[in-house]
Amino acid sequence: MKLFERNHHKTNKDYTIIVGCGRLGASLADRLSDQGSNVLVIDEQEKSFRKLSPDFGGMVIQGDATEFSVLKRAEIGKATSVIAVTNHDNTNVMIAQIAKEMFHIDNVIARLYDPDRECVYRELEINTICPVVLSTSKVDQLLHEM
Amino acid sequence: MKTKILLIGGSDETRFLARSLLNKGYRVTVINESREQCESLATIKGLQVFQGDGSKPFVLEDANAYNADIAIALSEFDDANLVICELCKKQFHVKKTVALITDPEKTDFFRMMGVDSVVCTTTTISSLIEQHALMNDLNTVMPLGSHIQVAQIVIPEDAPAVGKKLWEIQLPKAVIIGCIMRGENSVIPRGDTRIMKNDKLILIVSDSDRQAAFRALAGN
Repeated sequence: MKLFERNHHKTNKDYTIIVGCGRLGASLADRLSDQGSNVLVIDEQEKSFRKLSPDFGGMVIQGDATEFSVLKRAEIGKATSVIAVTNHDNTNVMIAQIAKEMFHIDNVIARLYDPDRECVYRELEINTICPVVLSTSKVDQLLHEM
Repeated sequence: MKTKILLIGGSDETRFLARSLLNKGYRVTVINESREQCESLATIKGLQVFQGDGSKPFVLEDANAYNADIAIALSEFDDANLVICELCKKQFHVKKTVALITDPEKTDFFRMMGVDSVVCTTTTISSLIEQHALMNDLNTVMPLGSHIQVAQIVIPEDAPAVGKKLWEIQLPKAVIIGCIMRGENSVIPRGDTRIMKNDKLILIVSDSDRQAAFRALAGN
């Protein structure tokens, strides 16, 4: 499959793969696509792609992104960023590590619900976002503004 | 001091493994998420059981992962087993980690991530089935590294090798016959050992010379 031919009108070279088309994945995909980036979303379930906006101009692949064959179909070698935002921490950890260590992607971001697992990522230079930590500090900030 | 082994996840195989390790004198602790599994595991004498998700650091801490010598991740999910092994290694400094995986393509990746031993259920079971189903073929018993394997072959009656001495058989270079199993006996072969029908030969062979070795020993 030649993913890039369809996008030849786009001049920028950045290419982001988003794994997991939940609320966060879909919203990120929509935003990046609005900004004119090349985006590809991978999700195991076809129906998850319904969350994408009708204007979404990127690509989708249905499949298990922990399988190398699926990542190769997504031409992960050409990706500049990989964002792992499935609903399972362990899956996000594994995908992020595969992207970093097997395919040498520079910018790898993973969502972690459980901040305790962060030690696995730290030395691998994987960026993590943790909703609990973000919400806590935001709430804390709002409380102190009052 | 007894070696302490931590088994995380899994179902029937965990129970068998726990029993077998306890019988061999190891100290065994299991972590399992399912209450049902835990209840059944708790009936095994001398086994310490913790209920919880073993890919969470606090559960591993409760189960004294700090003191474990070996951690074996047996859950049905490859990703969980990776995280379990990484946590055991990095946070709890367990000396040896073993992961069960189902996707054979990830074996090297798991090793790269610092898992000491990777057991792939898919390849192990399929090669066992092949071994049993195709007795008169050359069967891989155990892959060693990337291009070498231990294989076995049973010599059929009409094979060209029957009655010949080993040095008379034109074997490819990358083959070593390690052992000949003849009935109840095993023979360590020398150049003048004669091959007989129904001998089971244990070979160390390179992937590329496998077919040639098979032809020379068993014919087509």
